[in-house]
Amino acid sequence: MDLEIQQRIKDLTEKHGAENIVVVIGGAEAESAGLSAETVCAGDPTFAGPLAGIALGLAVYHMVEPEIKDECDAAIYDEQCGMMEMVLDVDAIIEEVSKVRKEFSKF
Amino acid sequence: MIKVVHYINQFYAGIGGEEKADFKPEVREGVVGPGMGLNGLLKKEDMEIVATVICGDSYFNENLEEAKVEILDMVKKYSPDIFIAGPAFNAGRYGVACGAIAKEVSEKLNIPVLTAMYVENPGVDIYKKYLYIVETRNSAVGMRDALPKIANLAVKLAKGLELGTPAVEGFIERGIRKNFFAAERGSKRAVDMLIKKLKGEEFVTEFKMPVFDRVDPMPPVVDITKAKIALVTSGGTVPKGNTDHIESSNASKFGKYDIEGVMDLTAETYETAHGGYDPTYANIDSDRVLPVDVLRKMEKEGKIGSLHRYFYTTVGNGTAVASAKKFGEAIAKELLADGVTAVILTST
Repeated sequence: MDLEIQQRIKDLTEKHGAENIVVVIGGAEAESAGLSAETVCAGDPTFAGPLAGIALGLAVYHMVEPEIKDECDAAIYDEQCGMMEMVLDVDAIIEEVSKVRKEFSKF
Repeated sequence: MIKVVHYINQFYAGIGGEEKADFKPEVREGVVGPGMGLNGLLKKEDMEIVATVICGDSYFNENLEEAKVEILDMVKKYSPDIFIAGPAFNAGRYGVACGAIAKEVSEKLNIPVLTAMYVENPGVDIYKKYLYIVETRNSAVGMRDALPKIANLAVKLAKGLELGTPAVEGFIERGIRKNFFAAERGSKRAVDMLIKKLKGEEFVTEFKMPVFDRVDPMPPVVDITKAKIALVTSGGTVPKGNTDHIESSNASKFGKYDIEGVMDLTAETYETAHGGYDPTYANIDSDRVLPVDVLRKMEKEGKIGSLHRYFYTTVGNGTAVASAKKFGEAIAKELLADGVTAVILTST
């Protein structure tokens, strides 16, 4: 996750409180999605960014996870995400992101 | 407590990317960046990162000598027991900086050092024979896997514990050979390996072959009767006395000699500097290695256009591939400038 985005998430969390923030990831690949999730939960695993060593413990989901998908209007979801959902390895993404969430998310 | 000094670049210190790569060396007490993760692992073994040196990748590589001196001074002040640089993953200049400074610290302070990078990082080729380089993935995605490996090796090095093989410890082979007693004798191991190979199963060789790059052959010479041909050899042919002192093995240079008017290489005028074969027959008649006599004849008969005025020579015996490549590039450049259209390369 690039450094500017890390900073933005850090600032937003300070402003609104960690309990009021949910991060929704759109990464196309399980490993990178998992890393982004870990960054906002347990701290930047690459130790390069503003979230290095800072465990925000935020709630984090991927767009294709049922928790998010089911909240969406099915027609709009299909229009915006349907195509990508067909080409992504959805199961791997869900497994990776939910694993990180269960381990590190505090909310 | 075992004291560790850690070296990282400007990016991992959170200072910035390429635009901050001219950042001058700076030392900070305690951990910065990846040192946070590393220190957590080291502390369990009664080790601690007492200081972190940060330097921009461009600054280091563009001011190599000054940077080494400055950083060495910073490291020295903390009198560490071990020095860790990186991990640099596949960042080329960072990898070279990690290798260079680790080597410097090892030589000047005489303490164990290690670094970590991706196997294709240019720093690996330059420094693997001097340093323990933990193998990492090619991007910071591999940080999670890399830090425990670095910590594990650092503990062993700092405490003087015996190291296992590179594969076991996770570092890149340094080309060091160690004798040991194998559980089974060589013939049995070889047959086992062969059987595995025949069955299409995986096996691990005990004698790794170096990886050479492949060079595509040039298209054929269109008209050999008009070609200007040069002779280049790794057979060590030199004018008698070897006045340029081309080494008999592991050559550090090549020679370029004028053969204008020379029709035949004789025992009185030429010899070989090569130390890897019996030179008797080459010394009696150097044309056996560098066929000047035959080419002169062909030149006269119009079978070739002409023989180039100079021949190039070096000794291939144990000469490093990197040196050979360098010689080859330099020679090719001159040959092209001289309008040579074809080269006969002779070896021994």
